[in-house]
Amino acid sequence: MTSSSLRRIVVVGGSIAAVTAAEALRVRGFDGDITVLSEETSAPYSRVPLSKGVLCGKETPDSALLPPLDGEVSLRLGTRAAGLRVDRRRVVCDDGDEVPYDGLVIATGARARRLARPGQAGEHVVRTLDDATRLAGRIATAGSVIVVGAGFLGMEVASTCTDLGLAVTVVDRDPPLRRLLGGWLADLVVGAARDRGVRFVRATRAVELAGGQEVTGVRIGDRVLTADVVVSAVGDVPGTGWLADSGLPLRGGLVVDDRCRVAPDIVAAGDVTVSGRPGGEFRRSPHWTSAVIQGQVAAATLLHGEVATLPRPDAYYWTEQFGLDIKISGEIPDGPAPTVLAGDPRERSALLQWRRNGRGVAAVSVNHRMPIVKLKRLGAWASAEPG
Amino acid sequence: MVRIEIDRHRCEGHGLCEQAAPEIFRLDDEGEVELLVPEDIVPELRVQAEAGVRVCPVAALRVRR
Repeated sequence: MTSSSLRRIVVVGGSIAAVTAAEALRVRGFDGDITVLSEETSAPYSRVPLSKGVLCGKETPDSALLPPLDGEVSLRLGTRAAGLRVDRRRVVCDDGDEVPYDGLVIATGARARRLARPGQAGEHVVRTLDDATRLAGRIATAGSVIVVGAGFLGMEVASTCTDLGLAVTVVDRDPPLRRLLGGWLADLVVGAARDRGVRFVRATRAVELAGGQEVTGVRIGDRVLTADVVVSAVGDVPGTGWLADSGLPLRGGLVVDDRCRVAPDIVAAGDVTVSGRPGGEFRRSPHWTSAVIQGQVAAATLLHGEVATLPRPDAYYWTEQFGLDIKISGEIPDGPAPTVLAGDPRERSALLQWRRNGRGVAAVSVNHRMPIVKLKRLGAWASAEPG
Repeated sequence: MVRIEIDRHRCEGHGLCEQAAPEIFRLDDEGEVELLVPEDIVPELRVQAEAGVRVCPVAALRVRR
């Protein structure tokens, strides 16, 4: 089948990558049927405010909803894909229904990793809108919280809980934020968190959830910490379970090439994907901007194959926590202090740049508003662009 | 008629709208989003406008029909 004969395209997933792909198909002139299958009961929404505005109760769950898809897209909510028959071009749903396709976009995202034992209740995670609303209700009346995991999500949850007046403990095996921000910037953020009363506990051994049927805290070796609420922010697991018998390439995620191709007439985008790096390693890039770019590229590849243009690598991400609005372009090296291009880090408002061999490799704005294009020129693009 | 609405309190200046629909959105030197076309946009630009609106991670943009 040639791509020009695609009449029915099925998009599996209901988040930003899925929605972007569906829309990009229309923008590129596809006028056949588009069906979006989402296991969630809520219409597509943005995860970005879940750990912030929605969690603290300042924003309603509805405010996180993405603009509705055009009426020409059929959105089937509460429909979970359970299997894929590549030979017969059908998605098998958990209710037994089979949805035929000519072209397929896989964007089933990821689910939160959990630490609870089977049957143990009370562990909170922040991945879906339901998760966030449930946790928001709980922390509105709680006095203390333990957050396991000191990455962006864990630290944002900790920050929100601090604003609500809870006593907050953050537990991690690694130094908070170090892997994401490098030592220098991580120290700045952790300093701001400590100033607001956050207690950090370094777990020297594996972290388990304490309590019987109901989680009451965490256990690190012989040490037990208790709190009213326990939140796990310990990463996520790509949603590839339904693809186990599909024959599609899985390496800790669904393998895509640089045009988001998986197999003939099958593309993928977003948190479910991994891509090969030099050295034979497969890596995920589970950020908003990569989900958007992959959604657009996946749609183009499905419709136009080889002529689809390659995306420009766009390492841009951000976090908001402890009064710091941090935007990042590039990969921050661990260790060295950056050059301060504007502002003053001691005042917690600055434009920072890390350089290698005289060229920018990363740029960060901390409470410093500027056009993002400029930030990218100082960061990721500085090393990618000639001249 | 289709109208673009900007919630300036929500906007955090990520600039993804500008990347997705450069003919409609632009970030000025202060990182504030501005419209390059009238708020009431012509039908031919509707699809681009919606593409720019949908990529906003903080839902600061709306298209009202």
